Amino acid sequence: MQKNPYLPIPVDVAKITTEVDTKDIKTFRLTFVNKEDEENFKYLPGQFAELSLLGKGESPIGIASSPTQKGYIEFTVQKAGVVTSTLHSLEEGTRMGVRGPLGNSWPLEYLEGKNIVIVGGGFAFTTLRSLLNYMIHEENRKRFGTITVVYGARNPGLLIYKDELKEWEKRDDVNTFITVDKGDDGWKGREGFVPTVCKEVAPSSENAVTVICGPPIMIRFTLPVFFELGFSKDNIYTSLEMRMKCGIGKCGRCNVGEKYVCKDGPVFSLTELDQLTPEY
Amino acid sequence: METRLIKRDALAGIVKKLSEQMTVYAPVKKEDNVFFKVLEKGEEPLLTYANTKNAPKNFFFPQTETMMGYMRTERGMELKGDNIADMGDAVLFGARPCDVRSFILLDYVFDQEKYKDPYYIDKREKTTIVSLACVTPPYSTCFCTSVGGHPMIVEGADVVLTDVGDNYLAEFITPKGQTILAKLGDLPTADDATLAKKEELVKKAEGEIKSQVAGSAIKPWLDENFEHPFWDTIHKSCLACGTCTYLCPTCHCFDITDEVKGDEGKRVRTWDSCMYWLFTIETSGHNPRTSQKQRWRQRLLHKFRYFVDNFGAIACVGCGRCVMYCPVNIDIRKIVNDISKL
Repeated sequence: MQKNPYLPIPVDVAKITTEVDTKDIKTFRLTFVNKEDEENFKYLPGQFAELSLLGKGESPIGIASSPTQKGYIEFTVQKAGVVTSTLHSLEEGTRMGVRGPLGNSWPLEYLEGKNIVIVGGGFAFTTLRSLLNYMIHEENRKRFGTITVVYGARNPGLLIYKDELKEWEKRDDVNTFITVDKGDDGWKGREGFVPTVCKEVAPSSENAVTVICGPPIMIRFTLPVFFELGFSKDNIYTSLEMRMKCGIGKCGRCNVGEKYVCKDGPVFSLTELDQLTPEY
Repeated sequence: METRLIKRDALAGIVKKLSEQMTVYAPVKKEDNVFFKVLEKGEEPLLTYANTKNAPKNFFFPQTETMMGYMRTERGMELKGDNIADMGDAVLFGARPCDVRSFILLDYVFDQEKYKDPYYIDKREKTTIVSLACVTPPYSTCFCTSVGGHPMIVEGADVVLTDVGDNYLAEFITPKGQTILAKLGDLPTADDATLAKKEELVKKAEGEIKSQVAGSAIKPWLDENFEHPFWDTIHKSCLACGTCTYLCPTCHCFDITDEVKGDEGKRVRTWDSCMYWLFTIETSGHNPRTSQKQRWRQRLLHKFRYFVDNFGAIACVGCGRCVMYCPVNIDIRKIVNDISKL
């Protein structure tokens, strides 16, 4: 018999990084208590896990680290409900649990050999960060074509992964475009909404795939830009969120039509989304 | 396959004896209702009943089940291990064929190749199912023949009992069923006349199910009409009480919650229902199903469309419980038949 998929794997909170000025988004670096669990936790960018706090509950969160980063996994979490609020009050060194990896991943095989456009908004950059760090890893970089990143937040203080943004901007094998809706006195970068910036950057749709995550309003205005650039629905991918409990397609609450977001998703192409019942 | 005869008045006593050797989950009468429950010492099962009020799914998938326990330590809450209660070998006695079929459907959900549900599977594997064929249909609301069943279907059962008059014909269908045979004492082998009589009863029983529902015929319409004015008509009297989902043998949705008392806690799962607003509400406040209309559509589509797409079977066994016990008389048979006329 397989291991009980409901049992959380013990991990320790190794490092907590406050990502934004409002302090309600933190990245948690978790290390496995047992070496064996670490080896068994084989994941790909785009997958998620249930962060498990015994006594409080569980919360499904995308994995923000890349499998190329060994020895730990990371999750960037906004403080919102019971579990995430408790998580935000934890200190480094606390023991907690993780269940996963769960769900499908970004379509890595399909992305190979193609030019990749990553579009993210707000704090929905987590599994995109995983994908980006995976692709730019020295062992993987040559398997992908050009990489373009458009990432935006409402204001400079709300950009997450600030140190990494600088690193990515420095690289000559990644075209990075960071933008904020409105800058402040210290902001020297780009201003403008993500859809507008995408229009300006105008990445070619030739042999290209767009991977997009962000607030629904951003996605709604960004998609037409990519359609105009010639991207087909087969070549635009996004990740869905839904209330979940089990994460393994049994508890019945995250279905959209016959698909379960937890098990059949969270990653879907726009073509696949069009085939789902229009229920969200 | 071994076939034996059990004297009519001896059966209850035989089951009582069996319950002294292993856990037996069987129908008993409590006040005016018949329920499945674990037989206590000396307790006999009820044999003359139409069907139980609760579906026997509770045995494999309890309404509330502790999944794991934990304790407060210096490092915070630490797991004490999972809580797969080893109840040992068990018998589920007297389940009606429709309810027995529900386990095949629940297996599709809980016993998948990639993710197996150990709580369900452990009990399911250790349990021998003895079904009691419906020689006459229990209720006018029965519609098993419209959703892939039959009042005397043997599918899913390890042992099938058929009331043939003075005797019950006992058919020991699976190896698990054979094992039980050894525990029942000496039983005479069934004669050809009894076997022939059973075949007759099978033919007769099918015609006795008067309630007909266009079970699979509505699938094409459901595939095409997620948006349709019809959906505005079925939910209006619904109280969102969830009775239909709780009594349904095939409904399997659950919630997982944590309960802490002092330094000890447990993670439990409890039945949940797609008929509830809370079922899908997200932390952000967004709810993909804000109205009872959407929730009713979900319930119907899950049973008659999505489950068919995923597993090739309708997630309804035609037991009629939701029809009988709905406090506002919503009748899924009428809804399905109304759809078939659209």
